[in-house]
Amino acid sequence: MTMQKLDFLLEESRKGRPMTLALACPYGDDALAAVTRAGREGVVKAVLVGDAARIRTLAGQDGCDLSGVTIVDEKDDEKAVERSVRMVSSGEADLLMKGLVKTSTLLKAVLDKEWGLRTGSLLSHLFLFEIPAMNRRVIGISDGGMNTYPDLNAKAKIIENAVACYHKIGVPQPRIAALAAVEAVNPDMQATLDAAALAKMNERGQIRGCIVDGPLALDNAVSEESAKIKGISSPVAGEADMLLVPDIESGNFVGKVLLYMTGGKGAGVILGARKPIVLTSRFDSMETKLLSIALGAVVARS
Amino acid sequence: MDQIRSLSQLLEYAKKIGAEKGPKKLSVAMAEEAGLLSAIEEARQAGFAEAILVGNADKIKAAADQAGVNLANYEVIDERNEPAMGMTAVSQVSSGKADIYMKGQIHTNNFLRAMLNKEVGLRKGKNTISHCYFHSVEGYDRIFFVSDAAFNMYPDLAAKADITQNTVNLARAFGVAEPKVAVLAAVEVVNPDMPATLDAAALTQMNRRGQIKNCVVDGPFALDNAVSEESAKTKGIVSPVAGKADVFIVPNIDGGNMLAKAIVYFSKNETAGLILGAAAPIVLTSRADSARAKLLSIAAAVTLSDFQK
Repeated sequence: MTMQKLDFLLEESRKGRPMTLALACPYGDDALAAVTRAGREGVVKAVLVGDAARIRTLAGQDGCDLSGVTIVDEKDDEKAVERSVRMVSSGEADLLMKGLVKTSTLLKAVLDKEWGLRTGSLLSHLFLFEIPAMNRRVIGISDGGMNTYPDLNAKAKIIENAVACYHKIGVPQPRIAALAAVEAVNPDMQATLDAAALAKMNERGQIRGCIVDGPLALDNAVSEESAKIKGISSPVAGEADMLLVPDIESGNFVGKVLLYMTGGKGAGVILGARKPIVLTSRFDSMETKLLSIALGAVVARS
Repeated sequence: MDQIRSLSQLLEYAKKIGAEKGPKKLSVAMAEEAGLLSAIEEARQAGFAEAILVGNADKIKAAADQAGVNLANYEVIDERNEPAMGMTAVSQVSSGKADIYMKGQIHTNNFLRAMLNKEVGLRKGKNTISHCYFHSVEGYDRIFFVSDAAFNMYPDLAAKADITQNTVNLARAFGVAEPKVAVLAAVEVVNPDMPATLDAAALTQMNRRGQIKNCVVDGPFALDNAVSEESAKTKGIVSPVAGKADVFIVPNIDGGNMLAKAIVYFSKNETAGLILGAAAPIVLTSRADSARAKLLSIAAAVTLSDFQK
């Protein structure tokens, strides 16, 4: 059984005490609108960290309702980011979200040794997509956004981060396909060698809580029929919950086909820090932004 | 000619070539499979292809019977040795008796070895042979050409330049007067740590200097700014290619394969493929391809062959 539909994230996020989200520099890219809406819908409790006067003006312009929203006044961007991160590391907030500030500024703060959110693991990006053409089946992709050319160790950590997330959203044993262009091991194709090593690491208990198989090509990872024609017998083939992509280019291509050519929606989150980090793009639809916030909240809770 | 904007239009165009100029001749290596013969027969009945079938004549007969194909309409060359089937089939093309080299049940290695043979093969100097997937995706008004997602694994800059030119020629055969080529990477800025972005910048300049012709090349692009004008605008990218790309040059087989398969499996689309850059079009379909995909590949080969003559 593969996961279907992402809307459950919204329901799940509303169960129990709402998680507190600290949004750093909420000035644009519609993050402000998404977070105030998530606050109104009970998905999170919103804290906006930034220039209070500017926030009020923007909210007025965009028609965002600030009732029930806490504003922490901090005019300087870097300080606002530090303040947001400190709120999360001290437990005052449960998850972090990036507003209109450079990703590098945010990550530098997240990785601060004294008051940051590092765990010794690797930060990685997981995006869950709901695919209309596959009966709204949900398929995750990692890492199409953060790690450029991960080596074997980094790939193992990317899987571990994703597995912890899948456990929190109710998939106890996610099936992970280590993708390459082909499904046979080829000494000249590094992605196939890494995939074989990851499958073995999973068998030896070095990567737990999931089933990893690879190399698989994308078609045999997601389509049982295609796996059958190729004669691949694997517990993952055709039923993958997550696609581990070999590098940022392939991950980016698959992700963007899903967002731009299929009418699909998704939810993305950065994993591997002490608490989840929500980082949406200005091109994401409101629905995708809300789902990303909800995913962050669900992961933050447990 | 009018630009071919979908794969249904491609089929109509191939029929028009057949009706006006007569069918193109396929030379098929190891034509011993029923599904393949059905596709060839459909192309023959549509009037744009005929074929020389090379292989074990008994097995060809059995496959034809299974597919309900009458062999009286075909020339059959009986050949029992697999490597020789490739050589015999390819030499029909290099000698001018056929127009298109097509793979049947023959192992890919034997098929390609014959194609690369110095005496009877189809190599055009040192030009890189490349593969192109062409997709028509619902919601878009044009065909997307993706290269190389199947043949060249990790092409260097020189090979990428050949791949680009090969694919541009196919797009032009499809009536795209001056194809817009997006060289893809994960980001749209040049980053010294990401080789795909450096190659993209170099290919852009090669186009401006006339080293890659009959097209407009730009890159690096992320996929979104290549297909969506709005996305390009928001990122402040000013380029004749942004949002309007016909051709996508991918950095390597991993990214390309996943891009092509994501389109096939996650969107509403039609897809087929062709091998380019040789002296004649080459059709290399897989058994897993649908009958429709095989027919479309033949139609594309006919269209390209007509364009090159």
